[in-house]
Amino acid sequence: MSVSEIPETTRAPLASGVSAVGVSRRFGSVHAVEQMDFEAPAGRVTALIGPNGAGKTTLLLMLASLLQPDSGTITVDGLDPAKDSAAVRRRLGWMPDTLGVWESLTAREILVQMARFYRLPKAGIDARVAELLALVRLEELADQPARVLSKGQQQRLSLARALVHDPSVLLLDEPAAGLDPGSRVELRTLLRNLAAAGKSIVVSSHVLSELDEIADGAVFVNQGRTVKQQTIEEAAQQGRRYAITALDPAALAAKLTELGLEFKAGSGRRPSVSLLLSHDDGAAALLRDLVTAGIAVVSFGPASGALEETYMSLETERK
Amino acid sequence: MSAEKTLPGPASAPDPAEVRGAVAGYLGGIRDVVVLEMKQRLRSRGWYIMLGIWFVVIALVTALTWAGWNASMEVRYSTPVPDGMPQPDGPGSAIFEVVLAFVLLFALLVAPALSANAVNGDRAGGTLAILQVTLLTPGQILWGKFCAAWLAAIAFLAASAPFLIFAVLLGGLTPGHVLVSLVMLAVEVAVICGIGVGISALAGRPLFSIVVTYLTVAALVVGSLIAFGLGVQLTQGTIKANQAQYNSAEFGPGAYPGSPEYTCSGPLVEQDALRTERVAWLLALNPYVVVADAIPYPERKTPSYYYSGGMIENISQGARAALAGPEGTYACANGKVQPQYLQQTTPLWPLGLALQLGLAGLLLWLGWRALHTPARRLAAGTRIA
Ligand SMILES: Nc1ncnc2c1ncn2[C@@H]1O[C@H](COP(=O)(O)OP(=O)(O)OP(=O)(O)O)[C@@H](O)[C@H]1O
Ligand SMILES: [Mg+2]
Repeated sequence: MSVSEIPETTRAPLASGVSAVGVSRRFGSVHAVEQMDFEAPAGRVTALIGPNGAGKTTLLLMLASLLQPDSGTITVDGLDPAKDSAAVRRRLGWMPDTLGVWESLTAREILVQMARFYRLPKAGIDARVAELLALVRLEELADQPARVLSKGQQQRLSLARALVHDPSVLLLDEPAAGLDPGSRVELRTLLRNLAAAGKSIVVSSHVLSELDEIADGAVFVNQGRTVKQQTIEEAAQQGRRYAITALDPAALAAKLTELGLEFKAGSGRRPSVSLLLSHDDGAAALLRDLVTAGIAVVSFGPASGALEETYMSLETERK
Repeated sequence: MSAEKTLPGPASAPDPAEVRGAVAGYLGGIRDVVVLEMKQRLRSRGWYIMLGIWFVVIALVTALTWAGWNASMEVRYSTPVPDGMPQPDGPGSAIFEVVLAFVLLFALLVAPALSANAVNGDRAGGTLAILQVTLLTPGQILWGKFCAAWLAAIAFLAASAPFLIFAVLLGGLTPGHVLVSLVMLAVEVAVICGIGVGISALAGRPLFSIVVTYLTVAALVVGSLIAFGLGVQLTQGTIKANQAQYNSAEFGPGAYPGSPEYTCSGPLVEQDALRTERVAWLLALNPYVVVADAIPYPERKTPSYYYSGGMIENISQGARAALAGPEGTYACANGKVQPQYLQQTTPLWPLGLALQLGLAGLLLWLGWRALHTPARRLAAGTRIA
């Protein structure tokens, strides 16, 4: 079949993100993923959240066209990875959670090789690689063998590797693991910028406070199943847990009981209490009440992020 | 790009330029993998040290063979050979044979080390999936890794080439011998590399695939001989032959050593014989047999009593005799005079090479299937990432 015979629609489909419908995959007797639904629209950052062994990596492998699902359908920008893998791979950047680097190659060589594997035009490769090295702040180490890079540096190299061909779908498996706080902020900015540029970004991570800042939506999975899909706004609306500490914990407890609020003793180092408040207005009102009642409030703030709240509520439901 | 085609006829035939582009793209991918492999695996001083040691060891072997040959000649020819009799060959072919056997042995030992963890070593290091998720096809990855291993092994052959050439310079051989033997060595190494890469794509763990590849090499080198020896016992058959009448003028002009002329007469009688041709293919699997059989014999204008028949010749003739079976070797089989030593002309090496290439091809094909993505089945206990 010549190129001209391929319908225009399959050649350049609209960037529509990734989706998985009813996807299952088992390894022997282990059902790693069972009837999972997942949707990561373009222009948004979607968090993939779940406990260890929930099937996140397995799902990402299937989305990355490396693993064939036993059943269910996967589309990447409207294309089927099993049928049209070359077209899918051209649009797909994948960052694995394992640190695999070609140790004897330098960071620059690794990126150049990747650019070649993606058949980027030869003329632009050097410039593209330099740009990526600057993006992940590895310019100074660019000509060191990858073996000597620290874990966080290797992680950043791995991110650059996934970005080399400017993919429209980015699948990142625990990208923030091992990154220092500064690099995390950079990663956050980078991902937000990429999403703003219309790319579809999937991030799996266990650091939920991190995801609060990055993600537009979240998919919670557990034991191979999708447990909940929600946007960050929905998560924020379901109420938030606040932590309060006062100089006199007993007085604080007494006042809260008097106000008829349900609270529990916090688990932190300092004696604190935490309670669930449905919206931010309620929090402001409560703080005013406490202060006017003469309670010496030392700190008053959200105890957990919105996503963590959902995660913990799902955990308790499960028990 | 215009969608209309003025000629309806060749519409289905692919545009040659497009095909050329696709082929170039495919080969370009293989080259990129080779470059990666070379940088990743061979960028260590260890390999160059190994290459140096290899060179020195073969130099030593050459020197010792030469010295040994000189010493034995001094003992044998303390009295000069009379003028009318043929002169003994130079040391060239003796050195050539020893060096060749030695180089083949070491090549067979080095090739698995270079190839047998090519794929699963990457899988263990977490870099295989990185390749698989790019535009590279499983075929490109596999061929790239094969070519890289092969090129590295060829570097070792190249380091031993000077000594084979040295042997030619000492006389008795032609440059063609060196060329054929180097080509055959390269092909044998390619077979082993193919087997190694194929097994490494199939087996989960590098150590396992390296061991299996070495065992395969051992099976080809030693196992084929044992299997042939045992197999021959099972090929007892019969052959119709009549009586051979040997000439008394055994050492007449034109006679070959060990080849008394005879005539056949009398009625054909059933006689016991080993039908070796049925198991000759086992012998053909042996890399030494393939290499020895493919190399043309040194030219000798006059038959020499002193010439003991080189090792290469003996292996080759023995293998060809096994292939010919009693029909071609038993004296007076079917009442015919049989060709004698150095006269067996049906070569065995094409069969052996075909079998070896078949084995390597089969393993590479299975390995290619195992590299296919999206992967349906994973080897038990392996993760993609
Ligand atoms: N190749 C495999 N063979 C057998 N079992 C597997 C394989 N890959 C994954 N599993 C199993 O499938 C389940 C899901 O694994 P997966 O790696 O997807 O978890 P995860 O959500 O990424 O966990 P983590 O948060 O620890 O990274 C686990 O129970 C795991 O043991
Ligand atoms: Mg994981």
